[in-house]
Amino acid sequence: MSTPPFSRRSFLLGAASLTTVPLLASCVGTGADGGAGGGTTALTLQSWIQDAGPKAALESVVAAFDGPPVTLNSVATEQFRAQLSTYLTSATPPDVLGWYAGSVANSYADEGLLLDVSDLWAPGGACANFSDALRALSTGADGKAIFVPQNYYWWSIFYKKSAFQQWGVQPPKTWDEFIALCDTLKARGIHPLTNGIGSTAWMSAGWFDYLNLRINGAGYHRELLAGKHSFEDPQVTAVLEQYARLVPYFHPNQTSWDAQQAVTPMVNNEAAMYLVGAFCTEYFPADQRDDLDFFSVPTIDPSVPSAEEAPTDGFFAAAGSQNPEGAKQLLSYLASAPAQQSFIEKSGSSNLPTSPDVDTSTFSPLVQKGITLLNETAEITQFFNRDSSDALQTTADAALTQFIANPSDIRGTQRQWQQAAQQVFSS
Amino acid sequence: MTTMQRAPAGAAPSTRGTRDRRRGGPLRRVPLLVWMFLLVPLAVELFWVFWPAMNSFSLSFTSWKGVGAAKPVGLENYQRLAADPIFHTALRNNVIWVVGFGGLSVVGGLALAVALNRPGRGVGFYRSAIYLPMVISLAVTGLFWRVMYQPDGPIDAGLGVLGLDWLQRQWLADPDTALYAVLIAAVWRQVGYIMVLYLAGLKGTDPTLEEAAAVDGANAWQRFWRIVMPQLRGVNTVVFAVTVIDSLRTFDIVWAMTRGGPYNTTQLLSTYMFQQAFTVVNLGYGSAIAVVIFLLAIAFIITYLARQARAEES
Amino acid sequence: MVTATSTSPARRNHASRSPWFHVVMVPFTILWLAPILFVVLVALRNFDDIAARGLGALPASLSLDGFAGALADGRVGRALVNSAIVTVFTVVASLALASAAAYALSRFHVPLRRTILLVMLAGNLLPPQILLIPVSRITQDLGIYDTLTALVIVQVGFGLGFYTFVLHGFMRSLPGEIFEAALLDGSGPARTFWSIVLPLCRPALAALTALATTWIFNDLIWAMTVLRTEAQFPVTAALLNLQGGFSNSWNVIAAGSLVAAVPTAIVFFVFQKQFVSGLLVGSNK
Repeated sequence: MSTPPFSRRSFLLGAASLTTVPLLASCVGTGADGGAGGGTTALTLQSWIQDAGPKAALESVVAAFDGPPVTLNSVATEQFRAQLSTYLTSATPPDVLGWYAGSVANSYADEGLLLDVSDLWAPGGACANFSDALRALSTGADGKAIFVPQNYYWWSIFYKKSAFQQWGVQPPKTWDEFIALCDTLKARGIHPLTNGIGSTAWMSAGWFDYLNLRINGAGYHRELLAGKHSFEDPQVTAVLEQYARLVPYFHPNQTSWDAQQAVTPMVNNEAAMYLVGAFCTEYFPADQRDDLDFFSVPTIDPSVPSAEEAPTDGFFAAAGSQNPEGAKQLLSYLASAPAQQSFIEKSGSSNLPTSPDVDTSTFSPLVQKGITLLNETAEITQFFNRDSSDALQTTADAALTQFIANPSDIRGTQRQWQQAAQQVFSS
Repeated sequence: MTTMQRAPAGAAPSTRGTRDRRRGGPLRRVPLLVWMFLLVPLAVELFWVFWPAMNSFSLSFTSWKGVGAAKPVGLENYQRLAADPIFHTALRNNVIWVVGFGGLSVVGGLALAVALNRPGRGVGFYRSAIYLPMVISLAVTGLFWRVMYQPDGPIDAGLGVLGLDWLQRQWLADPDTALYAVLIAAVWRQVGYIMVLYLAGLKGTDPTLEEAAAVDGANAWQRFWRIVMPQLRGVNTVVFAVTVIDSLRTFDIVWAMTRGGPYNTTQLLSTYMFQQAFTVVNLGYGSAIAVVIFLLAIAFIITYLARQARAEES
Repeated sequence: MVTATSTSPARRNHASRSPWFHVVMVPFTILWLAPILFVVLVALRNFDDIAARGLGALPASLSLDGFAGALADGRVGRALVNSAIVTVFTVVASLALASAAAYALSRFHVPLRRTILLVMLAGNLLPPQILLIPVSRITQDLGIYDTLTALVIVQVGFGLGFYTFVLHGFMRSLPGEIFEAALLDGSGPARTFWSIVLPLCRPALAALTALATTWIFNDLIWAMTVLRTEAQFPVTAALLNLQGGFSNSWNVIAAGSLVAAVPTAIVFFVFQKQFVSGLLVGSNK
């Protein structure tokens, strides 16, 4: 290796940059290098999907791609997140990367790291017929499209029809009915709600989002997450007061479980309901999936327009791709109706296609119902971290899990949360 | 480069060289080849460890999101640290960790080494059994113990069988027990390793000294502290270095078991740094935490080595 | 000298070992192995059994479903091969470089040798997380990003300090007469190193081999930093993927964890004799 002649000089450079910070004559902290030219045709697709079903589905969809050979790499989500900036700023980045639209994608787009995929959204392109909401979501600040949505899913309160029948209860229509249902179930020794906020602490934000949407509406929710309101607002107090009412209804083991393990008490009819994304169907044993049904979080204030959470997953391409045309070809393929259909059928989850051309009539009644839910709602949000940032999500995780452990101290929770959020917005 | 490096050594003989010769040291001059022996590994380490470290440390004076240019912010990250309650928790947890993890594994390892030092029936099996957890990676150890601590897992089940139901709890979700629950798992893996180090050290001690002391009427406890312990000084240095390194670098097992939760109560400096640097993508702030970790480690090592150097002189 | 005198007291002590010793040690050892035994049991149960009767229950029936699930698509097997390759090359290269450096520092009057040794050890005190981004950039600039070579080189650099430190302590404790005799024989530094020092260091090297193997084989963070192609991932990364995908299927995760621990267990048992007798670390100087 040629390390010895390198090291001394390099080391001194490093030392120099330590003392004179603005002169970062070093390998990090400087702008991104432009991608070097190269004529490779093979493509790399970097995926963060870990759930067994969707992962296998993506593999089979990619294997059927009729273009340049594609290497699909599945990286554990946590590591993928940690490596994302490295991937994109690399001289030879992966050509296509799975992720989601929102603040993260937009900040990379601002740095010029994402490939402009406006052609795909232009008439005749693979995404031309996608909804306006998806188009807005996929467009960066400069008006260029940078994202290709592949699927989305709805959040709702899931339950098992057979279990409700056995217990002789009905899905509630109003908030009061919902609370009454929880009381009924609890009186019978059934845990009304389950959740998994152990290693997936972010699951605690699902209820926060929905209570905020039902009490204060989507507009306030978006502004709160953008830092335009304080977490010490009386509006947030109202949300946490409702949340505190729910805390006794949760299965006490929720603090030890993750999102997947949280379905176990439902499988065994020890818990009744779970506010979760439609991806959860894959977590149930295959013979229970048809038994699942859901209802939207009931209205609390009838004057607030309806709103649902529908996070959208998809792909973007690296600006430094060695084969941008191939990358776009792969993106077009992944966005196409047949590929989406095949992905959803094989993944066993209940995700929805983003392409309006997918024939959804063959999908299960549950998915049909999900499509109707999202079509009829007035407002759509994504999820806490996607509407804000992963940084703000960590403040929510800490604040909400602590709040669930000690729901009486609403003011204290709000004060600490606001302090932490302040740090995020100011940095 | 080598010739350049040789110059100071070549200049030295006027003073040091003569002294060495007088002392009769056979290797008074360092041959070129020996310089290569030293400089190649040193260069590898400087290039792959210290240079990146310097780069990262310089980032601690900036605000950087991983892409684009880093914005210099002076000491702002350090000022923020001083006021950051999670950093304080992490710092306190790290002290608990160094003392608890280091203390328990050293005491446990030494005790087991003394107990299993003498050969005998079954001793080989005991040693292997106690060492066995070491072959399992920290992340997998965390996973094993997460299963153990599950609400319907074997620990709670075992307590139930023993009639100790009142002790059952969600070990990893209860802020009062989570850190210690992780600590137990980490010590479980570490003890065998420390034991092996001490077994090696004990093997090198001179048993005749101990016998002589026994004849003089010293009891086992006195013999151990006065005769055996001083002979373990070399091992102690290694054990100390390993313990400090491992306790300040502990990451995988906490990440695998709690991710620093519930609500940051098991955050260590390393996990908080990872969260800040890679989940929040606040690399400047994360680097500042890393600098603190490094300074703490250096302080430990220097304190210890200074004491040891004094002990050697006296 | 040690062996000559230690035989008789050992025999005497053995005879005098209290019977309570085993009464304490047997349950202690069983308790100690309990987590591993428990994971073995979990790995041998099937999913329905765990879901229906809980994790804490004893297996109702034995099944290899967990192992089948973990090894199903061949990823874990391929990852084990990658891990083995990386571990072998890293261990050999690290110990070669570390023993050379330790030889120079312990047997020659290198100026500032104590400082150099401490600086090298200090390198090991850095939290690896903070080196991730720069190291990844450096491997990219050198054109070795996403290769096993990069992983080997990075791990060699990062482990050197500790190995040098331990070997230095060991070599310093070797009796000086040996080196004087070698010098009288006209042996140069290289020959002395090769034919005298290295053979004498065999126990320490064996001990460090076992130790380094457990460290390198179990590394995850460096692998994620310099690799991005799944086909190159070591077993730790494959296991992480497995956990994400099967967090409900404790039997699959348990089986995967056991498979990943087998190679280091084998290395340990092969080197066990040397290991326990090995790390003298200059304690009897």
